[in-house]
Amino acid sequence: MQPFGLDLDYVAVVALFCVGLYMLVAKSNLLKKLLGLNVMETSVFAFIVTAGMVEGGDPPIMVAGTSAPYASPIPHAMVLTGIVVAVSVTAVALALIVQIHAHFGTIEIDELKELP
Amino acid sequence: MEVVDVRPILAPFVSFLCAGLVFGFGRSIFWRRFFTFLAAFIKMALVLSMLPGTLQGVVYVYQFVEFTPGIGIGFRADAYGMFFSLVSSTLWVFTTIYAIGYMQGDRDRVRFFGFFALCVSTTVGVAFAENLLTFFLFYETLTICTYPLVVHAETPEALRAGRIYLTYTLIGGGFALVGAVMTLNAAGTLTFAAPGILGMESGVATLAVIFLCLIIGFGVKAAIMPLHGWLPIAMVAPTPVSALLHAVAVVKVGAFGVTRVIYNVFGVELLRELGFATPLALLAGFTIVAASTIALTQDHLKRRLAYSTISQLSYIVLGAALLTPLAATAAVLHIANQAFAKITMFFVVGAITRTTGKKYVSEIDGIGARLPWSMAAFSIAALSFVGVPLTAGFITKWYLALGALEADAWWYVLVLITSSLLNAGYFFPILHRAYFRQAKEPWPPLEPGRRFETPKTLLFPIVICAAYVLLLGVTAEVPGMPFSVAQVAVDGFFAPVGGGP
Amino acid sequence: MTGPWAEALPWAIVLPLVGAALTPAVAVRHPRVSGFWAWGVLLVTAVLTAGLVSELVARGPFSYGLGGWAASYGIELRFDHFSAWVLPLVVLFVVIVPFSWRYLDHVMPDERRPPFYALLLLNAGGMIGFCVTGDLFNLFVFTEVVSLSSYALVAVGGRGLAAFAALKYLFIGAVSSLLMLFATAQLFVLSGSLNMADVSLRLGEIGGGTAVMVAFAAYAVSFMVKAAMFPVHVWLPDAHAIAPSPVSAVLSGMVVKVGIVGMLRIYQIYFGAEVLELGAFNLALVWLGAISIVMGAFFAIFQDDIKLMLAYSTISNIGYIVLGLGLASPYAVIGAAVHVFNHALIKATLFLAAGSIIHQTGFRTLSDLRGVARTMPQTSAAMAIGAVSIVGLPPTAGFVCKWYIALGAFEANQAPFGFALVFGALFIFIYYIRMLNAFYFQPPVHASVAQASETPWSMRGPVVLLASLCLILGVLGGIPLTFVEPAVLDLLPFWGQ
Repeated sequence: MQPFGLDLDYVAVVALFCVGLYMLVAKSNLLKKLLGLNVMETSVFAFIVTAGMVEGGDPPIMVAGTSAPYASPIPHAMVLTGIVVAVSVTAVALALIVQIHAHFGTIEIDELKELP
Repeated sequence: MEVVDVRPILAPFVSFLCAGLVFGFGRSIFWRRFFTFLAAFIKMALVLSMLPGTLQGVVYVYQFVEFTPGIGIGFRADAYGMFFSLVSSTLWVFTTIYAIGYMQGDRDRVRFFGFFALCVSTTVGVAFAENLLTFFLFYETLTICTYPLVVHAETPEALRAGRIYLTYTLIGGGFALVGAVMTLNAAGTLTFAAPGILGMESGVATLAVIFLCLIIGFGVKAAIMPLHGWLPIAMVAPTPVSALLHAVAVVKVGAFGVTRVIYNVFGVELLRELGFATPLALLAGFTIVAASTIALTQDHLKRRLAYSTISQLSYIVLGAALLTPLAATAAVLHIANQAFAKITMFFVVGAITRTTGKKYVSEIDGIGARLPWSMAAFSIAALSFVGVPLTAGFITKWYLALGALEADAWWYVLVLITSSLLNAGYFFPILHRAYFRQAKEPWPPLEPGRRFETPKTLLFPIVICAAYVLLLGVTAEVPGMPFSVAQVAVDGFFAPVGGGP
Repeated sequence: MTGPWAEALPWAIVLPLVGAALTPAVAVRHPRVSGFWAWGVLLVTAVLTAGLVSELVARGPFSYGLGGWAASYGIELRFDHFSAWVLPLVVLFVVIVPFSWRYLDHVMPDERRPPFYALLLLNAGGMIGFCVTGDLFNLFVFTEVVSLSSYALVAVGGRGLAAFAALKYLFIGAVSSLLMLFATAQLFVLSGSLNMADVSLRLGEIGGGTAVMVAFAAYAVSFMVKAAMFPVHVWLPDAHAIAPSPVSAVLSGMVVKVGIVGMLRIYQIYFGAEVLELGAFNLALVWLGAISIVMGAFFAIFQDDIKLMLAYSTISNIGYIVLGLGLASPYAVIGAAVHVFNHALIKATLFLAAGSIIHQTGFRTLSDLRGVARTMPQTSAAMAIGAVSIVGLPPTAGFVCKWYIALGAFEANQAPFGFALVFGALFIFIYYIRMLNAFYFQPPVHASVAQASETPWSMRGPVVLLASLCLILGVLGGIPLTFVEPAVLDLLPFWGQ
């Protein structure tokens, strides 16, 4: 489907990206910011996966009964790697948030700014 | 004739090495003096050993490294560079002796002598620079190396002076850099050459910007009038620094740069065609008179000398900007003449301050009786500045006047006469007070056991330099003396063009 | 025609990564061993990269197909002239690590050393990979390796503020990485390939279009954030100032250059394809660069904390590089590329010297550190050389780039930017002259400054070595050109006019 001359998945992906960006920028809670980042990551992954879709293609797995055309396997590999990276980023961010909480007793930006 | 020889690079390198050794082992007084003197003498010997060749027209060159493709850090000891390096390396020896006496017991002498050597190293580097880039490298390094000397006293006043000094010189350096870059773009090379490297094909507007940038860049150190503000303020530095750097090395590097720009970047022919030199000459003429007038009003001895320096430097700029061989001879010669006379004066002022603690003209009534030798030397230097025959200053004025007439610019002769009168106006009162007025209070007596009026490390350089002023005045035509080198240099500038306008 | 070193290409990446993984195991009994282990690994890597560079000099750029797959199907590692940047990079690591041995005593307990060195090795490995990969997706992965280890390294000092600075860095860095991933995917969708050379080729067949532009814009923004250019620099000062000094040196000197090298890589793709008219983009770069120079200097002037002001000067210096890139004339781009290395060297000198001073005296503001040169002459001298160098005064490494970029500005008939560059640098000096005055020409106010001792040799050696390199490279400015010039001249025929 191409409303307004754009692919629908494209529009959805951009919308999702913007939602995540809004969370990242506007929320005061560090955890919510991190969630926003995750939403953004998801939007990019969705973009990559949909890009690999081939109309009527089979999954690119060599078992009996599948036949060409195959969906492109490279985007899947990319997304898998991307997810690994995203998880690492999330893990590091969580560790940092835990440290901030241990040190300042809060993870709200507003309150952190008021601390000396 | 060009000869590849390692000496042009060795000369700056010797004092560079000396600086390193002083920083490394300078805590011991003996080693500090040993290295400083050794380097000073080795350097002088190196420069002198090139002199016979230079007089026969040999140019010693040495390419050090390629800095950028086609433009290397190169050294080239032509006659003009030789002349300048002779002056600075000779004076380094005397100033070192003087500084050892003067700085006795002062703080941070390691730093002082280390940077002192670095400054001399860069000065000779400037003298032997083969191209504008090398010139600029040493020129800027000199700025940085003099800063610790200017703020040596570490008082708020000294720090302020240092800040002003850096502001002026670094902004000047920026202009010089832009000028050099534009020259490279316009000419495709930066190597100094006798007819100049720029040509009409670059367009008058570009050439004007280049000329302006380079003249502002080097004119800051040469203290051409609107750019002179740093020089009197920098007099807060210890006297040997004022003497060597602010009377000789730093300001002369500026004047040397201006002459290089005029003769070796633009070239006589191009400048005659463009006519850029005329406003510069006018500015120099103005500076000569204005600075002398300001000097009349100064009571602080060193500041009076500073304004005198500003005035005298413009003799060099004027001589160069007149674009005639005789005026150029005067410009080149004045580098030595002014240096020896002015350094004598600074030495004497330093000796007065060290012996009696006086710093102002109004305080030195009757000092001629207390410091007879020093004041005699001061008198010789003063006569030289006024331009009395048989002193070095006369030679400059004579040739400069001839050069002005050669260029059909007789009004500069008036400028010279006015300047002579003004020089007399601000130096003779000092002599008058020193010799013909009664001391207000008795001068401090000689310390027991001393034979001389002031420590002999101070007196010795004073006497030698004063004697040299006389020597320069009477031996102008003797081969091997600075005059002959200057003539070789001027022949080089004008060889491709031929004589008068 | 490849020599024996070409086969060693993947090892230059694998070695530090494996070394990083093994660090905790090696140091399980004696945590302090991890420092020597990391140094050893980096030394071997340095030898390897030296071999790679020698191969490059002897035979020109070469490739290595990972897993035996030919390029464009498998993942290709490509060692070209821009990749030569890995050699100085690893050498700087080799110099910085010994400094950290003693420095870390005050920063963290012994048992936290192994993770620290593991992160440092990861960082090095990531950057090597970033420089030598010929694959777009790989470029993203290595960016993330570098970024992740950097986030953690900022926080490694361990206090709450450090964690906060690191988190700020992480959020902004992660968004920029996402943009990069998006751009990579976009290019993959358009061209069906991830191999840089291949993408470039196919883009040329497709021609331009909005989608191609979008990918380029995403890359550009992403790398600008990584390089901390002016409007998107906010993450840098806190992160770089609060990290331990060796880390600051790595981050400020090298990690921000990931953005610049990445930008050059993308240029290679797009220029090869000749699908973009970059005049407007270059103009934007020039202006942003000029603004970065001035704003970085402007912020630095108001800082009293020496590390914070060094951090701001990074923004200024990135401004030089970007200005040079935007001018798009041969000399300017050469100057920018040379400054990528020279700035790393200078900034490492400054951060390590500042770290030494903070380490020995316990103070980090100018007003507290007055008179420190009396008790720490060598470190202060290194600091002074670094300061003169970063302002771009001769005869130091900083001058080389200023010379080239100024030359390039006039070459490109952009004289105002030439003036801005030359005099903008002087503006920066206002700050440094205050620092030098405080260190050298003012009496100490604190007893701990007046009685401070010089650092141990393991810290002083690297500082002195780096400072002398700043001087040497100022005179021998032509050396980095050997690598930079061919690469830049390769690019230029396609460079936007």
